[in-house]
Amino acid sequence: MPAEYALSNVWIGIGVVIILFAIFYYVGWMASRKTTSDEDFYAAGFSIGPATNGLGMAATWASLATFMGVIALIQKLQVPFVYLWIQWAISIPLLTLLYGTSLRRMKAFTPATFIKARYGNASTIVIVVWMTLIMVMYALGQMIGLGRAFELLFGVPYNTALVVAGIATVGFITLGGMYGASYNAAFQMIVMTIAMVVPMGAIMKAMGSSGWWFPPLAYGDMVPSMLEKIPTFFDMKYDFRWYFSLIPAFTLGPVALPHLAMRVFTSSSVKNARWAVVWFVVFLGLLFTGTYVAGFAGNYFTATTGREIAKPDQTVLILNVFYNPTLVAAFVMGGALAAGLSTIGGNLMAIAGLIGNDLLGIVAPDMQASKKVRIGYVALAMGGVAAILLAFKPPAFLVTSILWAFGLLATTATPAILLGVWWKEANKLAMMISSISCGILFIVISPHVIPSICVGAGLPAKLGMSGGMVTIPLSFTMFIVLSIVFNRMPALAEYAPTLEDKKVIDRIHGWVDDYDEARYNGITWPIGFAIVCMIVFFWGLVPWS
Amino acid sequence: MQKKQELYKKEIRLTIIFSVLLLLLGHSASIFVLFPSLQAGSFWGFPTQYIVPILLGWFGLAIVCYIMTIVCNKFDDEMEEFAKNASSEKVTEKA
Repeated sequence: MPAEYALSNVWIGIGVVIILFAIFYYVGWMASRKTTSDEDFYAAGFSIGPATNGLGMAATWASLATFMGVIALIQKLQVPFVYLWIQWAISIPLLTLLYGTSLRRMKAFTPATFIKARYGNASTIVIVVWMTLIMVMYALGQMIGLGRAFELLFGVPYNTALVVAGIATVGFITLGGMYGASYNAAFQMIVMTIAMVVPMGAIMKAMGSSGWWFPPLAYGDMVPSMLEKIPTFFDMKYDFRWYFSLIPAFTLGPVALPHLAMRVFTSSSVKNARWAVVWFVVFLGLLFTGTYVAGFAGNYFTATTGREIAKPDQTVLILNVFYNPTLVAAFVMGGALAAGLSTIGGNLMAIAGLIGNDLLGIVAPDMQASKKVRIGYVALAMGGVAAILLAFKPPAFLVTSILWAFGLLATTATPAILLGVWWKEANKLAMMISSISCGILFIVISPHVIPSICVGAGLPAKLGMSGGMVTIPLSFTMFIVLSIVFNRMPALAEYAPTLEDKKVIDRIHGWVDDYDEARYNGITWPIGFAIVCMIVFFWGLVPWS
Repeated sequence: MQKKQELYKKEIRLTIIFSVLLLLLGHSASIFVLFPSLQAGSFWGFPTQYIVPILLGWFGLAIVCYIMTIVCNKFDDEMEEFAKNASSEKVTEKA
């Protein structure tokens, strides 16, 4: 018989949610008293310490999917999906290494702040549009999840749940700005980790595991029974290209996510940004291994009890309702909410930064700082309201999996940031052409828009893995080749990098006033990289089974 | 001039080495696909192809990030020292 999720006492759930929101609003209110400048509003005054920021980074990265969607997909794909999830953890370390500390050095609010300094206004508009679209998709997905979670918890209609949860959420995020988002995210990470890991210990004990005292890694004694029931659970089901295609779409995409980069930028120093990354890996690893256990336990539960989980999204909640007291199950629900809220906080801050600072900075470059902050608050609230309104009846193209949007970001924004930071020849016009054309190509060859024109099939196509393996290397190659060509055409001289553009690169790498034309220049390495990209591109075009 | 070149080469070298290490740790499952013979045996009761990527993606990554932080922060100190000397030399030249 299908197991259904239901709290035996809904008032306990309501109590947990009210307590959590009261804390979020208190933190937001405290934070609002510290916000007096645009640096405070967009970057928490560049003041967040390593441990708090590490928690905040992990919370911003771990979305509602950590409690719901992932576990459902582990049920479906089993171990290969665990591999897909493991590699998320390298996104922020890679981002920090490749450009995070450089942009922190220039005190950027978002990656687009750098794009503006390096490529100018027209290129900034292109990148802001792509990033905002992806942030809206991201926030929308979380908002829909939040509405559904409230619907489940309180038994109210979806639209009512969405309005109440949405307004309550946008309220505390707008109140606190980046200070509030940072401290709330750190607190939310603690809540979600406890909610994921501790109750799982009781569940594992009830399931008969001797390793219940450390659920993330000590359930090895359950493996023989699992293999008896599901012999294929640990099989690596796909060919090497499936695993390789995770790199272009899912490693290089998140590297350009503005809400993750903004967490790095809030660090109190460049060095503390790196320390924050160490904390991030430790905290995120604990939460993620908790997710893998939940996926394992969900499969084990269905295989050993014969009960079918009708809605795999709710696996972790069903397990808690089944094995744990109501108060614990309600707390786990609170943990899932915290996961959604921390990500929405990051998304809305990114939208506010992109619109309120980067885009407005082009339209009104001489605006006073105090007015900028006011506009920032408005942009933040409007971003939230837009996400709520879209979530009522979401447009089909926007509810496409956020995983698919990572491939779009890797195609459109990652080359602009990485080549902009590491290569002086990167040309403004080449950047715009490669970003726009390859971005459109990625959308066209996905199964979501014109199903008859699609690279790949099945899940790799839906998630943008097969499409990304074509458009991401193509975008890098086009950018490199066109830059080399355009920089040598006198007719296009206005798009070539100026001395000031090149000086930005030396400065953000820490050379201060010591400019050297030969540094981060030359064409041998970029051409070599472009050749590698073309090999990947043709490999991606080989028909997918 | 020589110090400048050394620092530049060191920055590129560190970035490449740590990028490759991070990619390897995040995508270690691919190694088990490339070399199926490694999909034998177990560790802590789990099949190796399951637990090793999880451990490398958590503890392995934490260790590499710790080393990366120590090494890159030390490199920053060298850069700051160089930039300070370079700017004081410019001031002396102008004087």
